[in-house]
Amino acid sequence: MSLALEERPADVEATGSGGGPARRAIFRWSWRLFRREWRQQVLVLALVLFSVAATTVGVALAYNAGHSEDSTFGTANSMMSFSRDVRANVAAAQRAFGTVDEIDHQSVPIPGSLNSLDLRAQDPNGKFGHPMLRLGTGRFPAGAGEVALTAGAAATFNLHIGDPFVANGRTRHVVGIVENGVRLSDEFALVAPGQADPPTDVTILFNATNAQLDSFRPSGGATSIGTRGSISKTAAAIVVLALETIGLLFVGLVAAAGFAVMAQRRLRALGMLGALGATDRHVRLAMVANGLVVGVAGSTIGVVVGLLTWIALAPRFETLVGHRIDRIHLQWWAIVTSMVLALVTSVVAAWWPARSAARASIVAALSGRPSPPKPAHRFAGVGGLLLAVGVACLAFANRDTPNASLVIAGTVATTFGMLFVGPVFIRGLAAIGRRAPIAMRLALRDLARYQARSAAALGAISLALAIAATIAISAAAAAIPSAEANLASNQAMVYLGFGSGGAPGDGPGVIPARTVAEMQSLQPHVDALAAALNAQAVLPLTEAVDPASPTIAPGGGVAYMTATLGRVKTVTHRGQQGIDISGAIPLYVATPALLTYYGISPNAINSNTDMITGRSDVAGFEVLAPRGPTPCDSSQPKCRVNGVKPTPGPVGRKGPDTWHPTIQTVKLPRYTSAPDTLLTPHALEAFGLESASAGWFMQTRSPLNPTRINSAQRTAAAAGLIIETRKTRTSNARLRDGATAVGLLVALGVLAMTVGLIRSETANDLRTLTAAGATSTTRRTITGSTAGALAFLGALLGTGGAYLALVAWHRGDLHPLTQVPYLDLVIIVVGLPLLAITAGWLLAGREPVSIAHQPLE
Amino acid sequence: MSALELRGVSKMYGEGANEVHALRGVDLSVDAGALVAVMGPSGSGKSTLLTIAGSLEVPTRGEVLIDGVTVSAMSRNDRARLRRRSIGYVFQDFNLLAGLSAVENVSLPMELDGIGVRKARLAGMQALEELGLSDRASSFPDELSGGERQRVAIARAVVGDRHLLLADEPSGALDSVNAESVIRLIRAACQRGVAGVVVTHDAQLASWADRVVFLRDGRVVDQTMPPAGPESLLAPEAQS
Repeated sequence: MSLALEERPADVEATGSGGGPARRAIFRWSWRLFRREWRQQVLVLALVLFSVAATTVGVALAYNAGHSEDSTFGTANSMMSFSRDVRANVAAAQRAFGTVDEIDHQSVPIPGSLNSLDLRAQDPNGKFGHPMLRLGTGRFPAGAGEVALTAGAAATFNLHIGDPFVANGRTRHVVGIVENGVRLSDEFALVAPGQADPPTDVTILFNATNAQLDSFRPSGGATSIGTRGSISKTAAAIVVLALETIGLLFVGLVAAAGFAVMAQRRLRALGMLGALGATDRHVRLAMVANGLVVGVAGSTIGVVVGLLTWIALAPRFETLVGHRIDRIHLQWWAIVTSMVLALVTSVVAAWWPARSAARASIVAALSGRPSPPKPAHRFAGVGGLLLAVGVACLAFANRDTPNASLVIAGTVATTFGMLFVGPVFIRGLAAIGRRAPIAMRLALRDLARYQARSAAALGAISLALAIAATIAISAAAAAIPSAEANLASNQAMVYLGFGSGGAPGDGPGVIPARTVAEMQSLQPHVDALAAALNAQAVLPLTEAVDPASPTIAPGGGVAYMTATLGRVKTVTHRGQQGIDISGAIPLYVATPALLTYYGISPNAINSNTDMITGRSDVAGFEVLAPRGPTPCDSSQPKCRVNGVKPTPGPVGRKGPDTWHPTIQTVKLPRYTSAPDTLLTPHALEAFGLESASAGWFMQTRSPLNPTRINSAQRTAAAAGLIIETRKTRTSNARLRDGATAVGLLVALGVLAMTVGLIRSETANDLRTLTAAGATSTTRRTITGSTAGALAFLGALLGTGGAYLALVAWHRGDLHPLTQVPYLDLVIIVVGLPLLAITAGWLLAGREPVSIAHQPLE
Repeated sequence: MSALELRGVSKMYGEGANEVHALRGVDLSVDAGALVAVMGPSGSGKSTLLTIAGSLEVPTRGEVLIDGVTVSAMSRNDRARLRRRSIGYVFQDFNLLAGLSAVENVSLPMELDGIGVRKARLAGMQALEELGLSDRASSFPDELSGGERQRVAIARAVVGDRHLLLADEPSGALDSVNAESVIRLIRAACQRGVAGVVVTHDAQLASWADRVVFLRDGRVVDQTMPPAGPESLLAPEAQS
């Protein structure tokens, strides 16, 4: 009967491993089982697929997302701008650096708007600047009377190709629609080189060494100097891959739980394999091959799905990132790395239960008995150590200038620490539940009995909820409770003039000088504006100026620079000294009307107070007084401005350029554009300033609607005024709620899978219970308790881990963490378990199909 | 030299108060070509005896020799190789691997031993042919009847150069006709030189053995030689 074979391979005799034929046989079996049971692995497959697809899109987006420095430098490595002696400076730069690409700028006011349009003279074929110009339709301007507009500029001025465009008193005809391909938000009017004459500002692009750049001193100083940074797009791809690694950690945990159940289901078959003479390595291979198949299938399909998604969404991303995108110009190494990471995750997730299955006794495996769970205290020790290391790393990572290595090490160690302490929590809950009713007790005990998969599931749920909680807590911490917007929805600011090229409040403003008669002539327009808005309150606003220091308004005419409040810092860049002003806040004069509006009694203001404000973030700020071009008499020997003797001109009145004001804090509404920081008459007198009309503050009963705003804008434009209303501002509340919702959905998905798997493992117990007369209520309670317990532990661990990490991260200043996102946390810690219990209760309860013993086949 | 020899084999499970003596100093010798039936009540240690004899478990005390080689001195890999080459198992639940066809199940031990798929498949086909299952070679386990599955399991147990056939209640899940067919096949294998040990509750099947060993509380309490010529339940055409 025995069928003896004449030959056996010598190497097989030597190693006893069976070599290639054995591996092929095992792999064939695994593949067949995967084909038969792929539905049971569809969640793991989907997670791997999604991770790789998301990473592919993420890598592509990260590679193309950042505002490329090409938008500033073109293909050059340096740029410089200057507004004085431009011709001489350009000539000097050509001598110093060789070829330079010159871009001349003129500012063109946009009627009725705070903004102006850049009239740009640039060579479309310039050596360095050519990527910054892209022709849409028509052609580039060639002659003196031609201009090309960006689509936005054409829409603003309601112009088409062939229409005349009037700018700064000159008429040109539109010959094309252009764009800055590396910065789509760049709106401008393009004219032929030399046609923006005289330029208000000139930018030159050139290649230079640091030494060349340091030794170059433009006449009158440069308004800006820049060199191309060394930030590599590779760094962005690495960040995406790091995020994928965290995502794959989650996938790995879910996969490990899935493969653990798979190993349990196949335990008798694996035992049979051992009985037939398979070595431990063969048994491991049987499971690992399954992981390999899932990894290969998931990552391959994931890349295809990711690339298709990228190609389909790239046009939308172009709008989002603000520049044109090359669809196939991707970092392929990063995409291949993401595939390899997914593959490794899948294999490692399968290897762990494979190792347990291979180590199990063949006899126990043949009878389908799982290995006894390992003592939880071993995991707890490792988990505690990892948590301590993670917290220490985050605490010392220095939040202001983060140490990337410590941040990554801290995040990874805290995450793994949280996962390792999971089994202790499971055991603890089972111990607490010893006196619970039978169904609940059984559910909690089963979680401890099947610790391998319940701990992996708990890890995945904790991780998902920890990420959600971290985002929610961080978003709440980052939210500035005050200054929520520029204005309330029922407020409007009406300005007489411009800020310095930006919105009011962006640095020292400029207001046109108006006589009393001019102001009186404006009053009917203001009344019409108030009527258009249906304003309930109209308050005239004045700002502090030095009337002896007039300047030129952007549109021509006399204007005054206004006093502002800001943080002043002396800076040195490439050997040139200057001051950096940040956080500039407009200052209005505390008129009786404003004080009455705010309900502040003049008697409540201290006699030495320079400024009253509702803000608490202006400590250390200085008032920047508008002393005009020369705060001192240039004929005096000691008169210097920034160390240079000024040219003769008007002399400013008494008082310093900057000073630290005496501040009195009062309760005022907090909006960035509303007049909430007021200079007192005492300060005006003390520092030689006078008040000048700046505009009006209006408030209505109900929120302003777009129709009223449009009507008011037209009225304002006709009167030469500018109106500002509430700007929509993205709130991080959406981010917070979105993160919570996604975390909950992911946790529920993991729960649905793992609870199903754990309960299917205890199907025999369920049959016995049914045979003993247990009703569907018992079965529902068991499933509901299992789901609720896992959800509750996951929420506790996730939220606790998130707070632990964030407390370590914010250890220098825990104040931001006092902003607690109560609703989100309650939803996570209470809502999720309740939802899990309810879902488990509703979906369970079906009577077992049979109580027969299931054979291997 | 006996194909299988157990010398003073004892097996204990658990520790302290939970200690259970599954086998107590069992001696057993099975020569090549002999078929031994092991009988006894539940919990008497029959299955433990079989798993220790087949190197699936290690005895707490005593020695197991297969073809004169002491099994307890072997590494896990060496014991695995011994099972691939010398020992065949037949279980009550058939234990065929789902996902593999009948011939793939039969040839699996040989492939695990490093024999190329073609040669292993050929040997598997021959084994199935001898058991009258060549026409079901490409069928999967869930497409076979209980009797067919057990015959495939026997083919897998004897394929290659096996010396020892161990069967644990091989007819437990079969009707009487299939049960006798199975024991006939085992008997036939033994007649060709394989040493066989069959654990069974069924005295009718035990009567096919050359020797019956009775176990009680882990000890061998009796050994008998059954009367020759068991009564056949098969129809005359089935016997042929």
